[in-house]
Amino acid sequence: MYGWVGQILRVNLSDGTVKKEALDPVEIQNYIGARGLGTRLWTKECDPKMDPLSEANNLIFMTGPLTGTMATNAGRYNVICKAPLTGTMAASNAGGYWGPELKYAGYDGIVFEGQSEKQVYLWINDGEVELRCAEHLWGKDVNETTDTLREETNINARVACIGPAGENLVKYACILNDYTRAAGRSGVGAVMGSKNLKAIVVRGTGGVKVADSDAFMNALIRARKMVADHPVTGQGLPAYGTQILINILDQSGGLPVHNFRDSGTFPNADATSGETLAKTYLVRNKGCMGCNIGCGRIVNVPDGPYKSFGEGPEYEAGWSFGADCGIDDLAAIIKANNYCNELGMDPITLGSTIACAFELYEIGAITEKDAGCPMRFGDAATMVELARKTAFREGMGDDLAEGSYRMASKYGHPELSMTCKKQEMAAYDPRALQGMGLSYATNNRGGCHVRGYMTSPEILGLPEKLDNLATEGKAGWTKTFQDLTAAVDSAGICLFLTFAIGAPEISEQMIAATGIDYTVEELMKAGERIWNMERLFNITNGFTKKDDSLPPRLLKDPIKIGPCKGSVNKLDVMLPEYYELRGWDSEGRPTSEKLQELDIQ
Amino acid sequence: MKVKFFALLRDITGVKETTDFTGTTLVELLKELSAHYGKEMTRWLFTPTAPNQEKQIGKDVIILVNGRAIEHLAGLKTTLEEEDEVAIFPRLAGG
Repeated sequence: MYGWVGQILRVNLSDGTVKKEALDPVEIQNYIGARGLGTRLWTKECDPKMDPLSEANNLIFMTGPLTGTMATNAGRYNVICKAPLTGTMAASNAGGYWGPELKYAGYDGIVFEGQSEKQVYLWINDGEVELRCAEHLWGKDVNETTDTLREETNINARVACIGPAGENLVKYACILNDYTRAAGRSGVGAVMGSKNLKAIVVRGTGGVKVADSDAFMNALIRARKMVADHPVTGQGLPAYGTQILINILDQSGGLPVHNFRDSGTFPNADATSGETLAKTYLVRNKGCMGCNIGCGRIVNVPDGPYKSFGEGPEYEAGWSFGADCGIDDLAAIIKANNYCNELGMDPITLGSTIACAFELYEIGAITEKDAGCPMRFGDAATMVELARKTAFREGMGDDLAEGSYRMASKYGHPELSMTCKKQEMAAYDPRALQGMGLSYATNNRGGCHVRGYMTSPEILGLPEKLDNLATEGKAGWTKTFQDLTAAVDSAGICLFLTFAIGAPEISEQMIAATGIDYTVEELMKAGERIWNMERLFNITNGFTKKDDSLPPRLLKDPIKIGPCKGSVNKLDVMLPEYYELRGWDSEGRPTSEKLQELDIQ
Repeated sequence: MKVKFFALLRDITGVKETTDFTGTTLVELLKELSAHYGKEMTRWLFTPTAPNQEKQIGKDVIILVNGRAIEHLAGLKTTLEEEDEVAIFPRLAGG
């Protein structure tokens, strides 16, 4: 087997046993790896209707065939389980060095079953695998946990762990690896916490074999040159990070403001931009394993109330704690983002949930007695303190820890939760980006921007410029982006590559690495297969066409100001065409012909 | 009219925005910017063409007029009014 190592670990946390298992060659060819293969393994073994925080929810860490190779930006892995936030499948994608290290230790992935009675961590030292006591780590944040574990195992080991938020079952807790890279969305950290599993520590000294090393080197050199020469991946992202998007979304009228209530434009957006970050708190940029982009931000706020040192924020965090909460204080945004890294929470859901709480407070649905303090848009100090409290479920933090849908429902206004399938949308207003709205609504894990990034053609002009306010053609583009992303996620490479290279360059690397004929058509078909598999899980779990929707505000209340003034999202126009292009019936269910075509059993 | 610059373009202009330039069409405005800020700006704004050929927009620049991308207006022939805002970005992405 080339690309893949060929074996996984199965760890039963209930009885403490560890087994090694061979990968099924047919399954890996059909589902590739990472998101696809992990989800396939999960759906074959688990009951979709179970409580996500029960012992029946397998927690799977899975790499792809390119992870850890010299392919372009191949540092990725996925964490797969049923998501506590949404009830959908969670496949949360992380970069860094942990995924490659797992392969160097000799494993494509790990399946955790059951629930440990005591707090434990897993120590993988090449062929030796051991569950160890983690009682001394419980309560520690991500940085302390990582430092402690490297000292007691191997200083060169890689650590993936949860912080207090995962221990406290915050519905959108993350798993952090290499200190600051997160499997961020849908609450995979809460599932890890429910299993009493604090960390997975890996040291691997092996490598990854590829099928045709000459062809592989030629393919990756060509692809890497394209990445280096492209203005986005070669200049913009290294210089400014993803926070570079603040100004263009603001200028285009697509930046959500005040819980999407006042979208259109955010006064002083530039104060929170990538450009401002580069001139103020940026220390240097940073990349993951084998990355030649380096979009990560090492930042330092040297003094003041928000003094902190860490990594980020990404655009989505910069927006959620910024414009969405009505805050233009970059130091406060950095502090809240650092809490997310250190305590282990998804900043998109957290910031959006705080913004929802601010609106609930403004309309009187949450009182000062409920919250323990006034909560108003623009109050940076309150926003930062609420971020900290959430990880520990202190006071109002206990409501915030449930995500905006459950919180807003508790206070009588579920319509003010800016979620799809109970997961918070990211930093693009669907009234200003029609296709992004369709992508959110149909996303198998709910409000998520990275599984069909329609912002790319609608605002950024990549690979070509589409009219963001038009609906024509958006169904086809959304399907293509969703399927391609499923293949990219499953291969173990970074989605940002697709700004510079396309399916042909990925196909070349996949063929050379695995020796399997992953033509562009086969890759796209595998992506479509993965998308349909996820869809089937949701249907089995009770999701229907009515869940392919957006918050009513985005369908009924026009944007009030800016270039997209007067616009609402026209989901009803796009959705039937999308179902038809997918080969689904009018209720959004894959037809038997489609499942047969995709060899889904 | 107000012209706004973003990201790497600010390194060329040294300012975030200016009202010092004007034009009745976008191409006129861009020619003024090109003449003032020199070759580095020209490389972003225009695709190289022969002197007698019609100007072509640079492939790695994003230009908005009052928040609308010029691809959905009249491109370089987009007419401009004194109260218009023109925003110019290098090609960028993130997410």
